[in-house]
Amino acid sequence: MATQTQVSANFKSWPVILALAIVSLPLIVMYLYFFIDTITDSAPGSLIPNAITFRHWDFLWQARGNRPSIWPVALNTLVFATTVTIIVLLVSSTAGYVLSRLNVPGRGFFLAGVMVLHAFPSVTLIVAIFLVLQMVGLYNSLIGVILVKAALEMPLGIWLMKGFYDTVPWEIEMAGIADGASRFTVFRRLVLPQVRPALMALGLFAFLSSWSEYILPQVLAPGAKAQVLSVYLASLIADDNNFDLSLFKAVGVFYIIPVLILFLFFQKHLMNIYGGGSKG
Amino acid sequence: MNSSRSLGLMLLTPAIVLVVLFFLVPVALTAVFSFTNMSTATGITGGAYQIGPSSLQRLGDSYGFPELAERLSQPSYVIDERGLTALESAGVDASAITEMRTHLGEVFPTRREAERMIKGLDARPSTREVKQISEQFNRSLLDTRYESEGDLLAGLDALGVEVTPAERDAVAASSYSGWTWTTDNFRRMVSTPDTLRTLINTVFYVAIVLVLFNTGYAMFLAITTYYMPETTGGIFRSIWLLPRITPPVIYVLMWKWLAWDTGFISMFLGQFGVAPKNWMLDSSTNAWVFVILINGFVGASMGMLVFSSALRAIPKSQFYASEVDGASRWQQIRYIILPQMRWPILFVTCYQTLSLLASFDLILLSTEGGPGGATEVWSLMTYHTALNNYAGNLEYGYGTALSLVLVVIGVTLSLIYLRVFNYNALVAKPLIEQ
Repeated sequence: MATQTQVSANFKSWPVILALAIVSLPLIVMYLYFFIDTITDSAPGSLIPNAITFRHWDFLWQARGNRPSIWPVALNTLVFATTVTIIVLLVSSTAGYVLSRLNVPGRGFFLAGVMVLHAFPSVTLIVAIFLVLQMVGLYNSLIGVILVKAALEMPLGIWLMKGFYDTVPWEIEMAGIADGASRFTVFRRLVLPQVRPALMALGLFAFLSSWSEYILPQVLAPGAKAQVLSVYLASLIADDNNFDLSLFKAVGVFYIIPVLILFLFFQKHLMNIYGGGSKG
Repeated sequence: MNSSRSLGLMLLTPAIVLVVLFFLVPVALTAVFSFTNMSTATGITGGAYQIGPSSLQRLGDSYGFPELAERLSQPSYVIDERGLTALESAGVDASAITEMRTHLGEVFPTRREAERMIKGLDARPSTREVKQISEQFNRSLLDTRYESEGDLLAGLDALGVEVTPAERDAVAASSYSGWTWTTDNFRRMVSTPDTLRTLINTVFYVAIVLVLFNTGYAMFLAITTYYMPETTGGIFRSIWLLPRITPPVIYVLMWKWLAWDTGFISMFLGQFGVAPKNWMLDSSTNAWVFVILINGFVGASMGMLVFSSALRAIPKSQFYASEVDGASRWQQIRYIILPQMRWPILFVTCYQTLSLLASFDLILLSTEGGPGGATEVWSLMTYHTALNNYAGNLEYGYGTALSLVLVVIGVTLSLIYLRVFNYNALVAKPLIEQ
């Protein structure tokens, strides 16, 4: 925006830029070296790389030590994040519509409930959820941790979708109902297309959030079969016998690439949610 | 009308099921389990009955039946079909087995008595064989697992141990390995010095991160990027959003690279002759600095976005007017921006307090509460008690009691926030009434 600079017409903006650049330096250094270290080697005790190498990436085609290959783990992560996203979208889009438009008994109560759940720090329930999954036999399975993650993301989803439905003009629905369509047809054919940007934003957010999730899979499904990338990488780092920072970073880059791509392309969609108060 | 109502309930059902299963039931169970002594040792489903050295110790000391405990600790020998079959497969002389069969059902309280009987057999087994045979009939209750109290008492009867009803109850109670109801968890929480220390840590951590980063530094980022050309501001906002979108495991890995003894700080200072060390874990002060920075950098991004959008909502004319009047930038911040930031600040504070109280993933991944518990906070203590510790005995009961504290705080604060942020305005009537 051109008008933005006029706000401080009396002052120069470079001192502010300089100050911010200095405090941002640690972050910039960390992220730069995070990528550089995966494809270079440097002499011990030196920070300047002296050779380009791809040996840190050999975990892609061969298993390291006694660790499983990375591909099943990546597949688990993909299945986990995709399924959670689908469940969150299905549940939030329907429940949000009900709370926005339909006159169900106890609607106010449900709305208040969603708000409280949204603010409530659900990770405090982890011990009880762990015990519940043990009792019903879903411990150490991907299904269990998918259901839990979807349930914990849901209050945010419902809240967000309700807000978007509220902005859809109700004339559209009135017209549909006047033409003899049922409430459900109206919802599916007329209202859902109107909130497509919201579904997009929520879907992206749910996917990224599950892709990055660490605590839930670590506690609820740490076993080899259900392992996801976050747990895999954490166990790699925690293993004192194979200390190799460049390998950790290479696995990290492999793990973070989908996140960065989605973020770069859909930053606008995501900003709404990050600004509106996501957990973290 | 009914169609709207039933459709509504139908569409709401999946959400309600998930809420009940993963919010309401866990909240209730957190409360219930906090009154038990559940742990890895007791198991989480019902327990079993097993007489062993520790249960006999209890039977003698706590229940006052030392004489009965002594009796139960003795092996006893029962001549039964199982033992005879075992003898056959062990290749013992057939005539000895036939002769043993005449003693079927006899019970010997000690090994010596059983072996005396075996030695008296006409087959005259050697001393080595006697031992071999007698071992097959050892039917001690010790270390046998019974699924129910009935099975245990049946086992007692089969041995021919005569007990009074009071003794029966004592044996059953002392040998029960499952969990029981107790209020010890709360007593322990109040009396252990560790909890007080963790409480102080938690308050310190939440307050510092909240004031310095989630509101203070976030406001600094929002204001500085506001006073920049739009694209430059956007770049800085993206940089400061990176910690939030980066998966926590990777984000903490970068900090470890910065702080480890082979990492950036050590190498950089190495140029000036400072010995390399693990800057994150070498002292509790350093550990706190890193914990606060790691969490603060993530936490600053939410406030930055909220404050930025609130800043853009302030009418530009107010800034123009102040510039005409010759206001300095500091005066603009002090008299125009900050007064209009009350609600965003309150919102971020409320929101982040709960989030800081409950989430422990970044501390777990970076310092794990160390060195020596210096950076252990309440939620991490819950994790270490109930879900993962070095000792290996996970105390679910005590862990849920610890997390109950956070659950109660969480529910209370969420309900208060509902009031503060004007719930009634949000519950407008649905648009279409049919």
